[in-house]
Amino acid sequence: MARRTTIIAVVITGVLALGAGLYFGAGRLGMTAEERPSAATLLALTLPDPTGKQESLVQWKGKLLIVNFWATWCSPCREEMPEFVRAQKEFGGKGLQFVGIAVDEADKVRQFAADIGLNYPALIGGYGAMELSRTLGNRVMALPFTVIVARDGSIAHTQLGPLKDEQLRAMIAKLI
Amino acid sequence: MLAVSFTLGAGAQEPKLLEPERAFSFSVRPLDPATVEARFAVAPGYYLYRDKLKFALAPAALAAPPVLPPGKVKDDAFFGSVETYRGQLVVRLALAAPTPGSTVTVTAESQGCADIGVCYPPQRQTITVALPAAGAGPGAVVEAAPAKKGWFN
Repeated sequence: MARRTTIIAVVITGVLALGAGLYFGAGRLGMTAEERPSAATLLALTLPDPTGKQESLVQWKGKLLIVNFWATWCSPCREEMPEFVRAQKEFGGKGLQFVGIAVDEADKVRQFAADIGLNYPALIGGYGAMELSRTLGNRVMALPFTVIVARDGSIAHTQLGPLKDEQLRAMIAKLI
Repeated sequence: MLAVSFTLGAGAQEPKLLEPERAFSFSVRPLDPATVEARFAVAPGYYLYRDKLKFALAPAALAAPPVLPPGKVKDDAFFGSVETYRGQLVVRLALAAPTPGSTVTVTAESQGCADIGVCYPPQRQTITVALPAAGAGPGAVVEAAPAKKGWFN
């Protein structure tokens, strides 16, 4: 499938371009914007929404972008998303953009998005998205996994497991 | 200015998590020419969902749907009352058409989470074992091969 081919290509590119830097250069504090790994691989991604419409993440370049890998079968993912909805509502006008990448089926994503009043894009990543998340630091490829991309395109934070509300608010306040 | 922490890999904030095939170690032991025993050893701090477990055999089919032991009831905020397995889970699988001395491939689909608040995608794992010859005792335990990502698509 074309989507799968695209994802594989993105993953290969990501591994080549970022993999070594992420795994061997990360974890050090005090890196400058130039030194921090860029989110170019993530921003290069184009994925369908639940209706099949293709969305490119690059359209949100320059915003404070919070990319959340999730699934409807993942209870901790569902638990943290209402707070994302609140934050999107509160800070969306100030340049914050959440994007969900669901490792899931479109029908289930559409239903859950309606249930919680999701107010940001939910894209369908399939299992290929998990491979991409691994290149961004999701070592065991579990969910939820969240990547915070600063306005300058650098990865400001990655989080395996739920983001605590206060942690999320602090990151937004610092980076918005 | 943007003095935020950057946490990847084994960073200070990342929970220590097992790869799914280590968190949920799958093995199979042939008991007799008509029966194999499938086992999940669930690491402490992890659990499997009972209703996500599926087993299949090839080339011989299952003689009957496997009987899964009752799980521990977990009240999930979203999924309601769900049954989960921790520790050792043992399931006997009966072959529809046993052929002593032949091989059988056991496929298990499973999905589980860690208490720390992460879930793993559904896994599909496959193990091929030799069935004992007629009259022979149980065969050896065969562990699932590590690190082969068995996702569905």
